[in-house]
Amino acid sequence: MTTPDDPELELEAAPLVRAYVITNGRSLPADDEFSLITLVTAAQDMPPTGQLDPEKRRLLDLCSGGYLAVAEIAGHTELPVGVVKLLLSDLTQAGYLYTRAPVPPAKLVDRRILEEVLHGLQARFG
Amino acid sequence: MTQYFQDPALWGLIAAGTPVAATAIIRGRKTIAELRKEKQELKAHYTSLEEHYTESVEEAKDRAEEDTKTALKSAMRTLQGLAGEQQLVITKLQEKYGDQQILQDLLDIDHMNSQFARRAQSIAVLCDGWLGRQRSAASLYDVVRSAKGRIRHFTRVEIRAQSNFAIVSRAVEPVALTLAELLDNATSYSAPETMIEINIRPVPKGVCIIVDDAGVGMNEEEKNRAAKLLSSERSPGVSGLGNPPQFGFTVIGVLAARYGFTVSVDSTSPYGGVRAVVLLPDELLTAMPEPELRPDPQLKETPAVAASSPMPPDQGPAAPAPTTSTAFGGQSPDPDPISFGGQGHAAPAPTTMGGLPKRRRRGAISIVPSAEESAQGTDGDTEDVPRRSSEQAASVMGAFQRGTRSGRRSPNAFTEGHETQ
Repeated sequence: MTTPDDPELELEAAPLVRAYVITNGRSLPADDEFSLITLVTAAQDMPPTGQLDPEKRRLLDLCSGGYLAVAEIAGHTELPVGVVKLLLSDLTQAGYLYTRAPVPPAKLVDRRILEEVLHGLQARFG
Repeated sequence: MTQYFQDPALWGLIAAGTPVAATAIIRGRKTIAELRKEKQELKAHYTSLEEHYTESVEEAKDRAEEDTKTALKSAMRTLQGLAGEQQLVITKLQEKYGDQQILQDLLDIDHMNSQFARRAQSIAVLCDGWLGRQRSAASLYDVVRSAKGRIRHFTRVEIRAQSNFAIVSRAVEPVALTLAELLDNATSYSAPETMIEINIRPVPKGVCIIVDDAGVGMNEEEKNRAAKLLSSERSPGVSGLGNPPQFGFTVIGVLAARYGFTVSVDSTSPYGGVRAVVLLPDELLTAMPEPELRPDPQLKETPAVAASSPMPPDQGPAAPAPTTSTAFGGQSPDPDPISFGGQGHAAPAPTTMGGLPKRRRRGAISIVPSAEESAQGTDGDTEDVPRRSSEQAASVMGAFQRGTRSGRRSPNAFTEGHETQ
């Protein structure tokens, strides 16, 4: 049926398992659940992984070395970021992963205190 | 009665009548024989005419079928090519806009494209056409999932078990298409809220893929017709699909005969619907293609990275990885197990307790390339030792000396970064 000398055989073929099958047609999670810089790591006492999809097992492998950002994880898989987020969200809910909010940016520090410190330092050291 | 015998008139009559009667009888017989002959000739003529007629009708039909097939085949070839191209484009778009709202729509478009490609593929099968791009060997689970993605109501399909089997390269597409047609039937002939269940079971002759639906099932007549289509060597062709055309079993029959697997739909599922069983013989099975998957990410790390545009994030965040993990108390900041997705790969270096990459001492090679290597590196010829120049010989000797000296200086240097550190 396929002729071996078909020139098109050499062309790149798209991945066999499509992304929408991996998500099983579910709608993608809202943006606020996972951001690109949310940190994820594998749980210490993980439930058995035998029945997980190969993609999820691969994500767990990636996360087993310590905290990784969602963006990094997605970069290592060949999946779209949104799909990776959905899978990570599944894994987190099932207790395979811990997530951690991104490192809080400095905006939480009170500007007034900083200014006072600055003034103090200026007064002290000129 | 006897009185007549004595009557001379009677005798007279007999004497006169006999020849006449005899002649009449002979003449009659002759005519009958002639007629018979004529009739036989006519019959033969008629038969030959009839045969010729059937032959020419058959011939015309075959020719028409062939013409239809050729035309459809080339048309489908174009459509399949386009669907394939589109799939690649969609894949790239999905990676590019992976973090945006549009991804959901791209996934939907991808799903529709897959269904469209499958339809074209099925028609191509009936025309002895092109089945699609060659795939590399894939795990049975992935082939089943691929099949699942080619039908409309794929979310109703539940794959119950994974397996350690993989399918050989040439059978990946045929098996996926077969399963897709079975799943299409299963979803079409069962209620929308019911699930289709797929089980994978190893048997002495190979592996069975079992598709159970909770539909209305088939009656005896339908079962017989299906069995005939599924087992026939010769496809009924495009003109034999019936009205409305029923592709499924015909396509499956052709594929099964051509690739050497069997499909049966004659049993009833535990849910009252149809149970379809695909039996893949050992010839179509292989070990899990694990080693083939592994080098993939590795290729991405090497210069080929530039070729795949969606990969740049791979490079950027990969570098700060160790920093992140050490900063947040990770145990192993070594990026290797991360990028290669697990242990057991040839490349990843083991780490010490302190988290530093542990270098393995590579014998004398770590100091100087071995004789073969240096020969390969210089003139690319391992056998031709005499052609080595005096400078090369001197450098090799010098290196040898340096090597033995450094070896003597560090008597127990099997490893660097010992665990006790």
